[in-house]
Amino acid sequence: MLTDPDGFYEALLDAHAGLSTEESQALNARLILLLAHQIGDQQILTACLRAATQRNAP
Amino acid sequence: MTGLSPAGYDLPVYEYVRPPEMTGKPAHRHKVAIVGAGLAGLTLACDLASRGIACVVLDEDDTVGVRGASSRGICYAQKSLEIFNRLGIYPHIRDKGVTWSVGKVLRGHDVLYRFDLADGSLSAQPPFINIQQFYIEWFLVDRIRELGRTDLRWRSRVVDVRQETDFVTLRVETPDGSYLLEADWVVDASGHASRVRQSLGLSTKGELGEDRWCISDVRFQKDLPVERWTWVEAPFNEGRGVWQHLMADGVWRIDYQMLPNTDPNEASRPETAARRLRDQLGPDVAFELVWVGAYSYRTQLMDDFRCGRVFFIGDAAHVKSPFGARGGNSGIQDAENLAWKLTLVLTGKAPLALLDSYHAERHPAAVENIRVTRRSGRFMAPRTAMERLFRTALLDLAPDHGFARQLLNTGRMCVPHRYAPSPLTTGDAGMAVPNLRLDEQHLGDLLAGEGAHFLALWCPRSPEDGLGADLRALVHEGWPLRMQTIQAALPPLNLSPGDVLLIRPDMHMAARLTKAGIEDVRTALARASGHV
Repeated sequence: MLTDPDGFYEALLDAHAGLSTEESQALNARLILLLAHQIGDQQILTACLRAATQRNAP
Repeated sequence: MTGLSPAGYDLPVYEYVRPPEMTGKPAHRHKVAIVGAGLAGLTLACDLASRGIACVVLDEDDTVGVRGASSRGICYAQKSLEIFNRLGIYPHIRDKGVTWSVGKVLRGHDVLYRFDLADGSLSAQPPFINIQQFYIEWFLVDRIRELGRTDLRWRSRVVDVRQETDFVTLRVETPDGSYLLEADWVVDASGHASRVRQSLGLSTKGELGEDRWCISDVRFQKDLPVERWTWVEAPFNEGRGVWQHLMADGVWRIDYQMLPNTDPNEASRPETAARRLRDQLGPDVAFELVWVGAYSYRTQLMDDFRCGRVFFIGDAAHVKSPFGARGGNSGIQDAENLAWKLTLVLTGKAPLALLDSYHAERHPAAVENIRVTRRSGRFMAPRTAMERLFRTALLDLAPDHGFARQLLNTGRMCVPHRYAPSPLTTGDAGMAVPNLRLDEQHLGDLLAGEGAHFLALWCPRSPEDGLGADLRALVHEGWPLRMQTIQAALPPLNLSPGDVLLIRPDMHMAARLTKAGIEDVRTALARASGHV
């Protein structure tokens, strides 16, 4: 559980402030890779991928 | 050995001899016929000869390599070098080739990642030697001739294959016309466009990759470290990938990634190749092109590496892109895997069922190699804007983050496949054991010699441990087995007193038996030799 969920969300948006779409996409890609490394658990990552992918399904 | 001359490579030419089948002399049915004298076929012929098994080799050409072309495999991995050591040609490879272990991944002029494959290596052979493929084939032919058991038939093209009830008939075309040759077993080592496969009506699943590459083999006067360099984004190749490493005769192989729609003829024109090299080496370095050729990646896999009395090894059975040198090296391992099994069966030491394990072990190895090389290919040639975005993110993170450097997949170097699960493997085993030093000799020395045998490495609990006498009794029963005591804690084996390791003729571990009783050893040995 995050101690300050709203604070995290704000920081995430702030990190993208002033970036072009392209720069934002690059930032997100770096962020995903860094977070994946921090999670460090293949099963959790697979579950996250599944959860994120399902949202795209019609 | 003449090697490189100003006119290119001077390769040996082998004499065609009219076969006994065409001269009215009595022709016999061969035990084993090998179709194709390339890397895999010659390794098998040499391995069989070293084990005392005669065979006939049929090759449509009369030289080594592909006439006039120096391309093909250049990196020979530790496992292959261990095999060549057992076959007796390793010293020639070491003396002629380039031993290397350091690789670097670059982006522009920055080194993102450096690895040394020698770190932690426990084998008598180095991680890699680079040498032109035809030199290996040349050494193998010389060694096969020295052993004097093999009937090497040049300019002999197999055009038709017929399976009879208990043998195979091959139709062979020669300069004197065609003849029929009979063999108990046939091994197809004739490469990705195998006519044997076609003749038997067997298909191979495959695809031709979009990614185009162009090799330039070149000599130049510029001191560079003997290392394998890979650029993910090379400034001198319009931001695309480049490979650079050294092989024998001072020849560098430089492999340039092209655009997918590149015209291969244009890419391999000498002027085009020279322009790329000029961009890479700078204006003042003199260079000499040895060979230039464009190619694209190809993946192929047969469903079954055996059809009746015909086995498929090397590129005939499986083809993958060149990342990690997994093509030629896996063909060499196919050959070794089949050689000891054929030897045990032909000498009556193992049942026919042992031969079924060739497909059971080498097909998964090919599947694994194809999976690994596909992943590297996808890293080197991103398919979509999003794939490229993630790759760029990794390259950006790599200088500061170790985990990102690990993900830079410019090719995972060839390692021996672990045979697990396998019908021959007992428990948690199946891995290749490196050519370790054991007291006075190396592990491979204990597995060399005629025939094929397993090796029980064991660690006595006391000087009068009765297991030794029990193991000797197994040998007297006729099992193909030798035994050797070793000290506990020899890395990486780390045995405890009372443990037995059963090592196969190909140096893979068939079983690791803790606190073993003789019946455990017998059961594992029976399983490893196809008896159950």
